[in-house]
Amino acid sequence: MILDLHSHSIVSDDGRAKVENYCQWIRRKALSLDGFVLTEHRLYDDESDYRSLEDEFGLLILKASEVETDYGHVLVFGVNEDLCAALDFSRVDLPLEEVLAQAQRCGALAIPCHPGRTRVGMCAHIETRGLVEGVRIVETLNGGSRGEENATALALARENNYHSTGGSDSHIVSHIGRCATRFATAVSTMGDLITELEAGRCEAVAWESEEWISPN
Amino acid sequence: MDIAELKKKWTGWTFDEVRFEIEAEPLAEFSLACGETLPRYTDPQHPDFQAAPSFAARFHGDRALPEGFPSDREASFDGGKAVEWKAPIRPGDTLTARSHIHDIFEKTGRSGGMMFIVHRMEFFNQNDERVSIVDWKMIRKL
Repeated sequence: MILDLHSHSIVSDDGRAKVENYCQWIRRKALSLDGFVLTEHRLYDDESDYRSLEDEFGLLILKASEVETDYGHVLVFGVNEDLCAALDFSRVDLPLEEVLAQAQRCGALAIPCHPGRTRVGMCAHIETRGLVEGVRIVETLNGGSRGEENATALALARENNYHSTGGSDSHIVSHIGRCATRFATAVSTMGDLITELEAGRCEAVAWESEEWISPN
Repeated sequence: MDIAELKKKWTGWTFDEVRFEIEAEPLAEFSLACGETLPRYTDPQHPDFQAAPSFAARFHGDRALPEGFPSDREASFDGGKAVEWKAPIRPGDTLTARSHIHDIFEKTGRSGGMMFIVHRMEFFNQNDERVSIVDWKMIRKL
């Protein structure tokens, strides 16, 4: 099963894609994608209901968040009321340690994304401030990365035995599914997703030359 | 700079109001410049002639920010405009545009921290019908 774990819709301040248009694009291009997760910037969208789109297009559409921490951006899966009460998602300087701890306490999962991003990614912060306890998974394939940023992320994961995920980081329709995460078993809920990610039963993949390629 | 304080103090109230008289020729010129081809946007003789959906984005108020707003506009750059169409704008309309700061927020990107100021201009016609909303983002590097 292939899921794009990092995407943005118009709910994000810089998102230009409607969720319905993502679905139409996936169908029209016959993308080998079983679904995607909306990781809106600095908020959790508890209002939008995409169940009718899931039914119409046969896709899994889950909701998560991308928050901003003192170690760079972090995807948070399994956001719930407890976590929203514990963290101010609008902040841009959330302590990563606190995000990791609160996510764990609330049954959610925090995954640093595009850690190889120059100057602002987690790797840059590690160079000056050291590793953060509690990180177990990082995004090693990000569709918006440039140059060696994904290679840097992959090196970080290998050095520290982190599990790896992939996501397109799409903000426009045609970028959905550039990178994704392959799961060995079917995922149908956020709970399933967290279970598989925590167990490391997943790998980051990129869509290249009409097939999914794993850099691992 | 305390973004939360800025937001609390400066958002949500009108600081500028201007009026615009709408004439047919500028509507057609704007549409053609945008590459519109539908006659209802380009031909003033068309029975449903009206402004192209993004037309209101061409207007500016008298002020970009409220008087006393603590931000150096010279140090800001344009983050683009988003237009929400609400109802047709037609020749002969008199539009009243009211501006307020809709939102102020912070985010981090490749180049570090940035503050976004969202200037919202709402356009109403002579019947007090809201015809367009234009959000203009100003970005300031922190």
